[in-house]
Amino acid sequence: MTPNASSLYQYSVERLGPPLRLMADTIQEVARRSSALWGGIMLCIIFSTSLLFPLFYEVDPLAQDLLARFLPPVWLEGGSRSHLLGTDNLGRDVLARILYGSRISLSVGFSAVLLGEFVGIILGLVSGYYGGKLDSLIMRTADIFMAYPFMLLTISVIAVLGNSMFNLILVLGISDWVIYARTIRGSVLSLKEKEFVEAARAAGTRNLPIITRHILPNVISPLLVLGTLRVANIIIWESGLSFLGMGVPPPAPSWGRMLADGRLYISDAWWLVTLPGLAIMLTILSINLLGDGLRDALDPRLRNVSN
Amino acid sequence: MFRYLLKRLWHTVYVVIGISAISFFFIHLSGDPVMLMLPGDASMQEVEHLRQKLGFNDPLYVQYWRFISKAVRGDFGESLYYHVPAMELILERLPASLELSFAAMFLALLVAVPIGIISAVYRGSALDMGSMLAALFGLSMPHFWLGIMFIMIFSVKLGWLPTSGRGTPAQLIMPAVALALGLMAMFARLTRSVMLEVLSLDYIRTARAKGLREFFVIGKHALKNALIPLVTVAGMQFGLLIGGTVIIETVFAWPGVGRLVVQAIFNRDYPLVQSIVLILALIFVAVNLLVDILYIYLDPRISYLEDE
Amino acid sequence: MKRWIAPLLALTLLTVFFAVPAFARDADTLVVVQEAEPVGLDLMRSSIQTTMSVCYNLHDTLFSPQEDATVKPALAEKWEKVDDLTWKITLRKDATFHNGEPVNAAAVKFSFDRIMDPAIDSPHKGKLTPFKDLKVIDDHTFTIATAEPYAPGLYILGYYLPIVPPGYVKQVGDAEYNTKPVGSGPYKLVKWVKGEEIVIEAYDKYYGPKPAYKKVIFKAIPEEAARVAALTTGEADVVGAIPVNQRKKIEESGKAYLTPQMGAMNYLGLNTYEPPFKDVRVRQAVNYALNRELINKALFDGKAILCAGPISPRTFGHDPNLKPYPYDPEKAKKLLAEAGYDKGFEAKLTYGTYMSQIQEQAEAIAADLAKVGIKVTLEPLERAVMWENYKGKKLQMFIYWWDDAPEPDRYVYSLFNSKSRDYYYKNPKVDELLDKGRTVLDREKRAQVYEEVDRILYNDAPWLYLYVVPEVFGVANNVDYQGRRDGFLMMVYAKPKAK
Repeated sequence: MTPNASSLYQYSVERLGPPLRLMADTIQEVARRSSALWGGIMLCIIFSTSLLFPLFYEVDPLAQDLLARFLPPVWLEGGSRSHLLGTDNLGRDVLARILYGSRISLSVGFSAVLLGEFVGIILGLVSGYYGGKLDSLIMRTADIFMAYPFMLLTISVIAVLGNSMFNLILVLGISDWVIYARTIRGSVLSLKEKEFVEAARAAGTRNLPIITRHILPNVISPLLVLGTLRVANIIIWESGLSFLGMGVPPPAPSWGRMLADGRLYISDAWWLVTLPGLAIMLTILSINLLGDGLRDALDPRLRNVSN
Repeated sequence: MFRYLLKRLWHTVYVVIGISAISFFFIHLSGDPVMLMLPGDASMQEVEHLRQKLGFNDPLYVQYWRFISKAVRGDFGESLYYHVPAMELILERLPASLELSFAAMFLALLVAVPIGIISAVYRGSALDMGSMLAALFGLSMPHFWLGIMFIMIFSVKLGWLPTSGRGTPAQLIMPAVALALGLMAMFARLTRSVMLEVLSLDYIRTARAKGLREFFVIGKHALKNALIPLVTVAGMQFGLLIGGTVIIETVFAWPGVGRLVVQAIFNRDYPLVQSIVLILALIFVAVNLLVDILYIYLDPRISYLEDE
Repeated sequence: MKRWIAPLLALTLLTVFFAVPAFARDADTLVVVQEAEPVGLDLMRSSIQTTMSVCYNLHDTLFSPQEDATVKPALAEKWEKVDDLTWKITLRKDATFHNGEPVNAAAVKFSFDRIMDPAIDSPHKGKLTPFKDLKVIDDHTFTIATAEPYAPGLYILGYYLPIVPPGYVKQVGDAEYNTKPVGSGPYKLVKWVKGEEIVIEAYDKYYGPKPAYKKVIFKAIPEEAARVAALTTGEADVVGAIPVNQRKKIEESGKAYLTPQMGAMNYLGLNTYEPPFKDVRVRQAVNYALNRELINKALFDGKAILCAGPISPRTFGHDPNLKPYPYDPEKAKKLLAEAGYDKGFEAKLTYGTYMSQIQEQAEAIAADLAKVGIKVTLEPLERAVMWENYKGKKLQMFIYWWDDAPEPDRYVYSLFNSKSRDYYYKNPKVDELLDKGRTVLDREKRAQVYEEVDRILYNDAPWLYLYVVPEVFGVANNVDYQGRRDGFLMMVYAKPKAK
């Protein structure tokens, strides 16, 4: 950047409203770290592929061809041009399934985190801001949830409700609320005593506006970081649930399910486990790289809280 | 100290009661296991008879009260599926779970802490980048996938290790390593970031300025401080590990509590599920208590009367 | 800190050094791997296949059921009909329990009373209810009577009435008997390390032929890939629940072969009480819509047996003239159009996640039905939930299975007689025939009754008929074990392969 452009940039950033400025600062901070930048770029590519793939790859991920099972990827002997990454045990196109699966895995991961954050934010704000009996009730409940084996909770909920995608998002999201609520509560406690909050209160502003206007915007960034990192965990855990037969129900090809189903053919058709496995790994790697970058940029205090 | 212990005791009590209530009401929502216990051609009369006999017709709170009042006397009921006392089943499986968890935890810390320290000391070096990238890969592999890969490589291809089961030390290696990899990645990242923070503190600089040897500075001063968050996270993870290893247990046919409880959930073996959840919660609370006590040893500055 | 590290390090190293593969085994020992550990070892108290498999090595019954649904002597030496309702049975005199107690008429009487006793909630009780009365005549003779003539009676006794030692059971109680049973079978229990292994050894006073293997170790490995691995590495000699599509891999390993024996008869039930499957044309249409041949070839290596009607092609009483519904999507569409579903419809297909290769099958079936305009949503359920929805009549289409039993009454009565399971289908004519089938004692005439049932149900199509899946066992190359049609792992039939 030339000095001129740089000052112009600074100028334009300063003219933005606080939320936008925060965003611009964050992007700048993140972009300064090469690993985070790479993570961000990779994630952008993954996202846009996931959104746009129907434009350039129009194969039905569910279409079976029982006569063309276990076709290897195109570069291997016996591979076919029409199935670039080969076919699975029912003759379905692996590439189409991986592309389609990206939508499922990413939406499970992100929706669950959003849901968890939503619940966590509300409970954390209430707990931190109002304090007293409500606070101790919420925090005691949080203690209980912390000690409840997370895995057992998920499995028993799915066993009861059945494994639809909605239920999966619900249970994965809800079981995560404690982490968010505790983080938020901590920030709110320290913020509550700050001058501008006191000032707003003295001016007769009611509680709800204080919370939404003054407190929330200032405690949200740690959650962004935490949430990003949790998405990765949830995608992994969904694959674990698929292994136990409780993931996203078939025929929807989540990456986890592809991996779990493919394991039975691990020695005959390595591409069935390796390729979706790579997709998971790349995605999680980029989420983590970006998340680490975000954390450093936004909130150095959070360094110890990863995972 | 006394007040502190009292507080911890209260914490234990409400956590355990809370957990038992949640698990109790939740699992009962799923219906009762009577249909499962009888074969398909059993008449409705037989079903009703068994339901009555096992007390599933009573209101939930009555059933819960019955469970709790028996549990405090040490009677956790009989497994509906195995027809033996639930506690007996759990105690049979607990050693296997503890063995696996200890092994994995030990292995993870053994590898991760040195890596984390070295990465922090040589921050930004190729070594640092490499190991942190490796740690990220470690975090991105699903357990079952890793486990099956291990079996394929070390048992089938190379023939070095038995595929599964428990009994000989050789059988412990693969499940422990598969379980440890994820933890390793987590601990290595954690150690690194904590060490980075500690190394920038004043007294470390003072120590260095005094001309103390670098090895001594890191080993004695920095590490001791870095241990606190590490111990917290390790304690928390250990508590979760004991019941949370169901996938590894399934892949390697490891006879631990995790598999027992998942099967019990599937079979709606209520007394067994409730007892296991209770035991796991107790272990979790106990481990965390231990961690708290360890804090005091690690850092005498921490007051056990911290206010909440 | 340092003081700790040294010993711990030493410990780790030791662990690694001792980690020499413990593959070397006694030639007399056989390692058998199943997918699940037994829930107990009292045969009277469990109807779970993996549990019963271990139990049949320890326990013995009066008769040995054969693959053509007849019986051969076991503890019973000879038997005769007193009248249509009563058998007189003579026990052999040389049989003893593992603790030395004699197997006599009193023990049989005790066992019969015990299995009927509500206190142990035996899951086999229902199958034995046609039996009313057991009278001891002398030490080794007794009569057993039924309320009505009961053609499959001896066969049922052969499976579901294990004879237990009265003295021992009374002494240790039911709970301990479940973990430390004493029977009169070819093997006796040595030890059961929960979660790890069950060790049994040959009983030297067993009345029958001596087992070739002195010691058998049962283990459980739930994960399929790990089970196959245990077989190919030589850690296990006999491995259960291996899908047939692993055949190539196992044979190529050069370590083991697959038995072609046991079969599970999969079927797809339809709720005939509600539209659209209320209409017989729709039911026939789905039968025409399925490409069974291709599914068989693709998923089962061509080793499955296609079913025409509800009675397995290997079971007596099936009508040999019936051919499986051919794959004819055009005809299916035509039938659907006649029934008023020319635009197709949406349906839900439910199945239990615990069945072998089930998801592949469900997805392949759904794809075939989609081709004739039936949009199928898959609903995989946990075993318990599936069972409850099934009994609660909440299912529309569902995949279930029955073991490919040689005795038609065992399952056709259970599944189609409305006195047994009036869940999704009822047909008075079928009820009448099935009641009759139980009471006709002449085998030929009996077969005719079931053939008629087979024909009626073929046309009325309350199921989408599928196939008998060869659910095979993997056996190490140096072991000769052919497997049994009932799938029970009776190791008395295993022997070293002649070189």
